[in-house]
Amino acid sequence: MSASYTPVVQALIEEFGRLPGIGPKSAQRIVFYLLKLPVDDAKRLAKAIVDAKERVQFCDRCFNIADGPLCPVCRDDRRDPTVVCVVEEPRDIVSVERTGEFHGRYHVLMGALNPLDGIGPEHLKVRELVTRIGSDDIEEVILCTNPNTEGEVTALYLARLLKPLGVRVTRLASGLPVGGDLEYADELTLGRALEGRRVVET
Amino acid sequence: MIVEHLELVDFRNYRKERFELTDGTTVVLGNNGHGKTNLAEALAYLATLSSFRGVSNEAMIRHEAETAVIRATVLHPDGRRSNVDAELSRGAPGRVQVNRQRLRRARDLLGTIRVTVFSPDDLGIVKGSPGERRRYVDDALVALSAKYDAVRLDVDRAVRQRNRLLKQMAGRMDGDDAVTLDVWDARLADAGERFGEARAALIGRLAPIVQEAYGDLAGPTSVGLSYEPPWRTQGLAAALAVARTADVRLRASTVGPHRDDIELSIGSLPARSQASQGEQRTLALALRLGTHRLVSEQEDSAPVLVLDDVLSELDASRAAALLRHLPVGQIIITTAGAIPDAVEPHRIIRITDGAQV
Repeated sequence: MSASYTPVVQALIEEFGRLPGIGPKSAQRIVFYLLKLPVDDAKRLAKAIVDAKERVQFCDRCFNIADGPLCPVCRDDRRDPTVVCVVEEPRDIVSVERTGEFHGRYHVLMGALNPLDGIGPEHLKVRELVTRIGSDDIEEVILCTNPNTEGEVTALYLARLLKPLGVRVTRLASGLPVGGDLEYADELTLGRALEGRRVVET
Repeated sequence: MIVEHLELVDFRNYRKERFELTDGTTVVLGNNGHGKTNLAEALAYLATLSSFRGVSNEAMIRHEAETAVIRATVLHPDGRRSNVDAELSRGAPGRVQVNRQRLRRARDLLGTIRVTVFSPDDLGIVKGSPGERRRYVDDALVALSAKYDAVRLDVDRAVRQRNRLLKQMAGRMDGDDAVTLDVWDARLADAGERFGEARAALIGRLAPIVQEAYGDLAGPTSVGLSYEPPWRTQGLAAALAVARTADVRLRASTVGPHRDDIELSIGSLPARSQASQGEQRTLALALRLGTHRLVSEQEDSAPVLVLDDVLSELDASRAAALLRHLPVGQIIITTAGAIPDAVEPHRIIRITDGAQV
């Protein structure tokens, strides 16, 4: 199949095929769409990619996406500097921010422990987190990694690493979706929600 | 539970074929290689979302096709009907719709449709490697309670991650490695303990039922199932700590649910090495019949029972005993030979080259 394309087209297909969630079929479809596009549209796309790469950077402190040395959250001095929410990816910050419930700062790990993908603690922003705890006035670290095998292991790793430093380490509760129906909750989620039950405040 | 009809699109050697099934017994006739087992495989896929022949989803898609579809209408014991639409794609996770509603995860289908398959390959549960016995028990666990699917995947994931980490360590362990290995151990210990406990509880429930099923097929004989991996006495966390030096050296996880065996015995002798072929075959049937009875009892409704080419493997008296002891419900029997005397089919389907004739 690959032999039938010109090298230029083939190279482009391979570039797209490297993107997350894009398989060879989708890469082909995108490339043929782009080839049909007016030149100006294609240039605009190329420019948008280059602009983003040149202008967007990662926050020096928390590794969130930023347009300067610090991200908007770190620049905002109304945020509580004593609480840090640790997430895997910058996009997770968007999710937590949408809740409007968190007023502290963040720390982006840039992934989770995942030997199958060759990711160990040295590939994550772990050392930077420890340094922050040593220098800033951080009292609580909330571990907001994903509730899957890798996320849970990462949370456990961080908890063991951070607790001796004298900070309060908490983990996001897992449980039932709000507005949901017990009947439709899967057994594992319901089981976790039972484990993490709370006394009703009256 | 009854599967009222089954439609296969680009599944194995079927292009597009719709089968009308019935309560009671359906006999599927056809020569070998024409698609009888493929039909059984498609039905079983709806129950487990995997092939009972142990192949990838991709292997079940017809050669020239990109996706295969299995459609079924299921009548539940409470009178509800569901239309299930399962799609298998190359290089992508399967997708499932129930009553035109797309399930968030295909695995949410588990527990909706229950199917028990008897296959000549079941002999492997008795004669084969420990992996085949683990698969038998773990499939039964998931059939009885779908939540164990997630635990099983978690164990599998933790083992694979831990093994990769051990390979990356290349036989040596520094302090940082030890800390990382600690957390993978903790995860594996946690998931593994839960899974081991579930397996042990299931074996406890299953043993008397299999014993009884064996008696039904071959007369009273003592049959044993036991699951006693050494790590269960000391705890998996402790066992992993003890095994660590060896694991680092061998670059693999040598202890855990992924290495366990379930010992089967007939007349207190190991069934794998000391029983005759006939006894082994009967035990394999009794094991399947056992899980079928357990699920029927728990759900108050029998799973769809598929006898894929097993009657021809049995002598006449055992075949008759099996048929006599089959629970009432929907039964699908495939055979390349004649319809056995003891079978009274409500419907006969003839298959040639992936099509009904």
